[in-house]
Amino acid sequence: MFSSDGREAMTLAITDVTKKYKIRTTGAQVNALNGVTIVLPAKQTLGIVGESGCGKSTLARMITGLEQPTTGTVTWNDAEIFDKAKNMLSSKHSKIQLVFQDPYSSLNPRQKIGEAIAEVLTVHKLVEKSAIPSRIDELLTEVGISPDLAHRYPHQLSGGQRQRVSIARALASQPDLLVLDEPVSALDVSVRAEVMNLLIDLRERLGLTYIFISHDLSMIRHISDQIAVMYLGRIVESGSWDAVLENPRHPYTRALIAAMPDHTLVGNDLYEEPLKGEVPDPAAMPTGCSFHLRCPIAVPSCSVNIQNLREVEENHLIACQEVK
Amino acid sequence: MSSPLIKVSNLTVSTSDDNRTLVNSVSFEIAPGEAVGVVGESGSGKTLTALSLLGLLPRGVQATEGSISYDGKDLLHTDGETLRSIRGNKIAMIYQDPMTALNPVMRLGAQLIEVIESHEGQSGDATERVLTAFSDVGIPDPKRAYESYPHEFSGGMRQRVMIAMALLLSPELLIADEPTTALDVTIQQQILALVMHERRKRNMSMLWITHDLGVVANLVDRVVVMYAGRIVEVGSVKDVFTNPQHPYTAGLLASLPKASDKNRTRLVSIPGIPPKPWTVGESCAFSARCTRADDQCRTTLPILRDNSSTQAACFHLMGEKQ
Repeated sequence: MFSSDGREAMTLAITDVTKKYKIRTTGAQVNALNGVTIVLPAKQTLGIVGESGCGKSTLARMITGLEQPTTGTVTWNDAEIFDKAKNMLSSKHSKIQLVFQDPYSSLNPRQKIGEAIAEVLTVHKLVEKSAIPSRIDELLTEVGISPDLAHRYPHQLSGGQRQRVSIARALASQPDLLVLDEPVSALDVSVRAEVMNLLIDLRERLGLTYIFISHDLSMIRHISDQIAVMYLGRIVESGSWDAVLENPRHPYTRALIAAMPDHTLVGNDLYEEPLKGEVPDPAAMPTGCSFHLRCPIAVPSCSVNIQNLREVEENHLIACQEVK
Repeated sequence: MSSPLIKVSNLTVSTSDDNRTLVNSVSFEIAPGEAVGVVGESGSGKTLTALSLLGLLPRGVQATEGSISYDGKDLLHTDGETLRSIRGNKIAMIYQDPMTALNPVMRLGAQLIEVIESHEGQSGDATERVLTAFSDVGIPDPKRAYESYPHEFSGGMRQRVMIAMALLLSPELLIADEPTTALDVTIQQQILALVMHERRKRNMSMLWITHDLGVVANLVDRVVVMYAGRIVEVGSVKDVFTNPQHPYTAGLLASLPKASDKNRTRLVSIPGIPPKPWTVGESCAFSARCTRADDQCRTTLPILRDNSSTQAACFHLMGEKQ
């Protein structure tokens, strides 16, 4: 799982990945990712939760080969995902697909949804030309959309239907791994459930591995087997669902859980002790533990000591010196 | 109940050119010191309802029926002068995106001074009041904030500035339109804590618009649930959230993952999408998506009626046998 041993079982391996960006105008360096290590076995779902600027979307771009890590490696079945020679996603990895938050901007508004899927099938030469129409029907049916809608444009569909089309498009190359970057955040509340249910059904039916990225802990909680909590480019806590959600140890994870609005807790005074301060500017990273400025249990040495993940129990890692 | 601070009666909002109804016969009251949440999805009419209270409906949309009574006046049928004297003074509003609500080329201090001067004229202690307002909402360096422009602040800090501005003249009613939706959860928690604190301190009434049921669960006294331009259910937050009677409210609540559900039961989804409010006619707008709907629901408009828990506009309440 997240431990360094047991490598034979793994499928996705992110090893000590760092991503640095330079801000062109100021020359300042931003550490978007800092020593991120994840090992995820096939057919498991890893939920990555964190607030803006924590690096979760950068990580999605690394896993899907859209960008190259500055240091470290991302491998899928022991093969590197990013092809350094071609400066792009390795051709071996059409089996990794990305679904974006907003299907409105990820689908071409002037392309009928059938054409959008046909394009993927053609570009990757996935099926014979004559078989394209039937494959489109099949993919739309797979995500619960009537094939009759193939001639519609994205704006003629509802938000939920559009996100289903994005998923169908991602499924066209018969992927093993889907990276879902906030896949339900842009949808209306009553529509989120049907897309979540679809994702869970597809995972079971097709044996998919998911990286599910969200700021919404309730969705992460609902779908994940493994969970990683990110803060300012680092994983601060990771492990099994039970470990991270039922027995959270890192002060940031605890604060995040406490801050989640919960409709089942009517009348509780949840807003009494919010976490103080704001996420620091990633271009001006605090020294030591990046969370120490907001941390309720920080001691002076936290501003000096960089915190690395350590195992506190089986399949449960945290990056905090103050938690025993 | 003591006499309401504000009473909305049969508010109907329609487009001006083709007379499409967007908000239909909405009635509710807000008591002095009471916090009311309006919950609904996009297109349910929740924001238009809130904007009607301030005479801020966008161009092309107008209130065609009803009244909004406040302090002996009907805010729907009063002159611009009177509305301006109430707006920002007695009734203030905070928005989802402070970046568009604040003037980007004006220093923050000057924007707040403007609020004071437009209602009270020149005031010798205006600067002092603005600095106090900044410090009350937890802005770390009020003097620096006074001289800053909105873009120099984070989203959370801008939202604090907007709250400071809204509270500056001690309004009786604060209207909030999803002010925390764009914020990170830990910052959202800070802003909600701040609002709760100020509300208690001032005994201020509040109208909180949101799509997030979790946010209002711990923030308001009463909840109004809107669907396709109408109120479908209203009641105390406890009754609506723990014993919903309208199938839409019940469905919405069931569609959310619950932290207490360790087995992670499959979510209940509501099939279909909300209809456009003007297409519904004399039927229940939810009937096409409702598992309890029958012919009556498809041909007759249900009106809000009392039940053991809430008031709901439904012929087949959740608490009744089918």
